[in-house]
Amino acid sequence: MATHEANLPAGRTVKKPTSHRVAVKRWRLPVETLVLGLTLLLWGVMSLSTSTFFTTNNLINILRQVSVDSIIAFGVLFPILIRGIDLSVGSVAALSGVVCATLLTMGLPIPVAIGLTLLLGVAIGSLNAFSVYRLGIPAFIITLAGLQAYRGGAFLVSDGTSVFGLPKEMASFARAEWLGIPSLFWTMLVIGLILHFILSQTRTGRYMVAMGSNYESARRAGINIKRIVFFAYIVSSLAACIAGILLMSRMSIGSPTAAVAYELNAIAAAVVGGASLFGGRGSVLGTFIGALLFATIANSANLLGIDSFWQMVATGVLIAVVVYVDNLHKRRQSGLK
Amino acid sequence: MRFAKHTLAITAAAASCLSPAMAQDTMTIPVVIKATTASYWQAVFDGAQQAAEKLGIQIEELGPANETQVAEQISIMENLISRRPPAIVLAPVSTDALAGPVEAATEAKIPMIIIDSGVDTDKYAALIATDNFAAGQRAGHALAGCIEKTQGEAAGQVAYLRANPNGESLVSRDEGFLEAISNYPDIEVVDNRVANNDTAKAMNDTLDLLNRYPDLRGIFADNQLMGDGAGTAFAEQGAGESVCLVAFDSSELEVDFLRQGIIDSLIVQDPYMMGYAGVWYAHAAQQGVALPRSVDTGVHVADTESVDLTEFSGLLDPSQREMSPYLGMSPDSQQ
Repeated sequence: MATHEANLPAGRTVKKPTSHRVAVKRWRLPVETLVLGLTLLLWGVMSLSTSTFFTTNNLINILRQVSVDSIIAFGVLFPILIRGIDLSVGSVAALSGVVCATLLTMGLPIPVAIGLTLLLGVAIGSLNAFSVYRLGIPAFIITLAGLQAYRGGAFLVSDGTSVFGLPKEMASFARAEWLGIPSLFWTMLVIGLILHFILSQTRTGRYMVAMGSNYESARRAGINIKRIVFFAYIVSSLAACIAGILLMSRMSIGSPTAAVAYELNAIAAAVVGGASLFGGRGSVLGTFIGALLFATIANSANLLGIDSFWQMVATGVLIAVVVYVDNLHKRRQSGLK
Repeated sequence: MRFAKHTLAITAAAASCLSPAMAQDTMTIPVVIKATTASYWQAVFDGAQQAAEKLGIQIEELGPANETQVAEQISIMENLISRRPPAIVLAPVSTDALAGPVEAATEAKIPMIIIDSGVDTDKYAALIATDNFAAGQRAGHALAGCIEKTQGEAAGQVAYLRANPNGESLVSRDEGFLEAISNYPDIEVVDNRVANNDTAKAMNDTLDLLNRYPDLRGIFADNQLMGDGAGTAFAEQGAGESVCLVAFDSSELEVDFLRQGIIDSLIVQDPYMMGYAGVWYAHAAQQGVALPRSVDTGVHVADTESVDLTEFSGLLDPSQREMSPYLGMSPDSQQ
């Protein structure tokens, strides 16, 4: 679809992003509603069929379990929006946890250790963006390389084992609650709101959607592509970095095996939440609902005593069905068959 | 000279005396472990390194990052066999899947020393391992003992966390645990969760278990990463008081939890000795020495009271490990 648009005369492409944005709005609703409906249905069924699901304790557990996954998924959404991808986020999360833990055990104050770790996230994001934008390496390839390299880095920094001996304040952060809601969830909420605001209220956000919908017309319209690419990949790495620090705080160790394959969960959450891997479509709220659905499935499987292997199968089937239904809907609306 | 108490030590030393350190300086024995990321396996490397130093040889530290990476370990073995090292020390991640590579190595006249858990073939030189079934039984009795102590009677619901349903040592452990629990008619095993050797998943699974079974009396975590995760979940929920937790192995985190009383008992194996004896046997086998077919390195149960006893210090922290003077002779002093 994008190809014939790119062939239009330069003058006419300017308004393309606008018309696409309208399309985005029309599309976004059904799949998000569908997934939200599924999640609520699951919550309803679980509340009726078990006495343990709809309890404060369990709901708080779900909030804890969904937080780290959501933050990684929010980050991954940004490269996906500009028709990119970031497969390195799981490894970046592990590397960040190990680096931050190592800095802390070396005796650095907590804010300094976290600050330095976040800088590492910015650096990794910049490197990804530079490779994609300047060197022309496909995002899939460079971040696949990162998936390997940063995991290796995590093993190197930690000498292959978990980093133990964090200051008590660090370990207690993830256990803390405010107004009865876990600190992890508050952190996720703040990050989610900021990213949602950027995406829906700022020019950068709109440019990202425009660029993902039609790269060529966005470029010709004078959008600073370089800035957008750097922004998207830095957000992704930084979010992974924050998630890694939170995970470290929660496990009270910096583990180089943490967050294995989390990039796939994150991408799945974004896609089930309405993002398109072809760019230009997706939302923070949808991504959160996607992550919430997966966390609910995992939690329900445990509460019902369903075999862990069935849980994996169910999650896989769900991704396929949701994306299929979404595509079906999209085809119908755009008059394709 | 004092005599070593450890029979294993005697055999190993005796074997080495037959070839007093005339070995080529460059001999390198590969030691292939199951997961480079668990401190348990670092202790195996520590022991192997120590033995290598005393023998005047070198070791090469190899292994997949995670116990679930069966294909990676097979690849490591295939590459090693084509390089024809003098001997190989291997901790097989899967009893079936590694049988082929072990047979291939033996047929290529490379002596195979299997450590930690068994393999589904008899074509190896020696097996140096924990009797995992017996160790699992110890865990079951420790859990029942803890429940009896805290609840007044050995009764109620228990569950267990499984790291990897594909590992022979873990499966034996679980079977041993279930066998021991079956001796307590009032204790019911209500659930088990497979956490894929992922600490964060072990943590979530533990939270869900505690939530699903409000009357749960005990959890057994069948390896170190499961113990780390379950312990952290207990700490998060403040469940240490009312629910018993028995875990395998002894990461720094687990030992810390044991001291705090969050973990009630740790089933401590002797990975250091597996590495140490593994390399020593490999060295001896390479010289054609006949070796015992199978050696049990034993387990110890450490609880909150006994954790600081000196007998555990070397087991819980390999850096404090002191081998007996009999084994401590350097190759130079033998000449």
